[in-house]
Amino acid sequence: MSLLIAAFGFGLVSMSVIALAAVGFTMQFGITNMINLAYGEVMIASAYLAYYVNQAGVSIWIAMLGGAAFGAVFSFLINRFVYAPFQRKGTALLGMVIVSLAVSLMIANGMLPIVGYFSVAYRERFSHLLRIGAIALTVNQIVIIVLAVAVMLAIHALLRYTRLGKAMRATAANPTLARNCGIPTQRVIDVVWLITGGLCGLAGVVAALDSDSFTIASGAGFLITALAAAVLGGAGQPYGAMLGAVIIGLITELSAAVWAPDYKQVVAFGILVLVMLLRPQGLLAKRGALAAAG
Amino acid sequence: MNTYYAANLLIFAGVDIIACLALNLQFGVSGIVNFSFIIFQAAGAYAAAILSMPPDSAPDYSFQIYFGGYQLPFPIPWIGGAIAGGLLALPVGLVVLRRLRADYQAIALLVTSIIANTVINNARPLLNGAAGLALVPQPLQDQVDTNTHAYQYLYIGLTAICVAIIWFISARIVNSPYGRSLRAMRDNELAATALGKNPSALKMTMFIVGGAIAGLSGAILVGFLQVWAPSTWLYPETIILFAAVIVGGRGNNVGAILGALLVPVGFEEVTRLLTRMNVGPPQLIPALEWICIGLFILGFLWFRPRGVAPEPRHVFPGAPVTEDTHWVEGAHAS
Repeated sequence: MSLLIAAFGFGLVSMSVIALAAVGFTMQFGITNMINLAYGEVMIASAYLAYYVNQAGVSIWIAMLGGAAFGAVFSFLINRFVYAPFQRKGTALLGMVIVSLAVSLMIANGMLPIVGYFSVAYRERFSHLLRIGAIALTVNQIVIIVLAVAVMLAIHALLRYTRLGKAMRATAANPTLARNCGIPTQRVIDVVWLITGGLCGLAGVVAALDSDSFTIASGAGFLITALAAAVLGGAGQPYGAMLGAVIIGLITELSAAVWAPDYKQVVAFGILVLVMLLRPQGLLAKRGALAAAG
Repeated sequence: MNTYYAANLLIFAGVDIIACLALNLQFGVSGIVNFSFIIFQAAGAYAAAILSMPPDSAPDYSFQIYFGGYQLPFPIPWIGGAIAGGLLALPVGLVVLRRLRADYQAIALLVTSIIANTVINNARPLLNGAAGLALVPQPLQDQVDTNTHAYQYLYIGLTAICVAIIWFISARIVNSPYGRSLRAMRDNELAATALGKNPSALKMTMFIVGGAIAGLSGAILVGFLQVWAPSTWLYPETIILFAAVIVGGRGNNVGAILGALLVPVGFEEVTRLLTRMNVGPPQLIPALEWICIGLFILGFLWFRPRGVAPEPRHVFPGAPVTEDTHWVEGAHAS
């Protein structure tokens, strides 16, 4: 029993990491209609940027902001110079998926000569262990949970209570109508890429910190978990992605406790398969803040 | 240029052509974005390996763990490889192709590919995990001495026969009324459904046919390489084949063959040449190769989406409307 409670503690950390990644991913899809398969690679690029800043002697928590800023700018540029031109040209969704996969490949291999194959780790990866009953978490992990909750609340506030959030929801629901109502959809989409890119970068650093060490190959794993959470919740739905993150974070950690930790991603995949068989539109489809893309 | 180098080049070319023809049937003709294509090649390779290898208790093979080991004579492992590819396509297709939207299908298949690799990599008792299978017997090695030039020519000949068969089958499918249904589904699924075509059945069939052909290509490859490990079928390998079909001209068998010769084979050779000339640090050349493949995909989708050898327009005399073949470019995208 105490094993399960301990696993629940790790589940809280996992769901925080996944939620940070999944919400950005799903918002990109919901608002800009772009399944960005390069998301995992942007995450890992940001994690490496934070790593170099961290190696230069800066605390990881400050380097994390650098990673987020990098992710924001990088995602913005990818959209500006690759995705947006293809979309303007009228490339269909399927074509865009291929484009984003090609971009993902190029980012990973562009980084390879710089960062190499070896695994690296942040300097502050060890921290004090705090015990609350059977749950034992490090200070880092608790900060990650707090950070994730704060970011989720901020996203909620952004979407619900600001003009920008309203404009985003309108753009997601019907871009043409939104434009006709005087919403500068182009600028809204630029801002969305900056925000979601920032989330992506932040999630990359957090995921790298949470997994102790990381390599260039970690990007695919990051992408899969974010994808699974986003699809589980209903792609394009920020609240769905949060829910998906909670479910996947808990189940993967519990399965790791009772089964084998090597198969966390496989369990996430199993959940994904079940969702696709039973409820392909996701748990929260048509009830979240954003309408389904299409 | 010695015989071994030529054999290497020709057999890789043959395997890539077979794979590209299969991917063209799925992606080019039917519009299934099969991002897990490489796992079907891998399934064929593993099946051919365990069908031809002795059990893992045999003295020379005891350093690896795998199930099976049936020591079956030549044509059976290759046929088994094709069957394995087709069989694997069944459950994957049933989960992915029936209810999901096309873009979901693509990402689901990508995830399937990554996860399958993770599972085989970590589950050592199944197929020897990350180390992979080694000492896979070559076809007919009991009858012919494999260290001779004659054997190289024999293997090239066997590969060529398979290429011919697969090309024949692909051409028959593409040019038949069935192929017309597939193109109708690709260009406008809703309209095809309205005309009484069953998209799920069409996609399933092409998924299985393509999977079987991919399995055959894997069997040919493993018989030649004699090793097969998870690192040989990572998901980027699928992207190379996509690049080949896009560059060559999707929907056109000749285009797929041309693409196979231009992209996987061409890049392999250029990389080999550059590495031999010691240009730049060793990591740089393979990384640049991948970046170029990405640029090729983007460049062709942008400037020449229909490829070097575009699919011929299937317009019939007297037809009141011209056929719309710009499906990925999205002439009718929402």
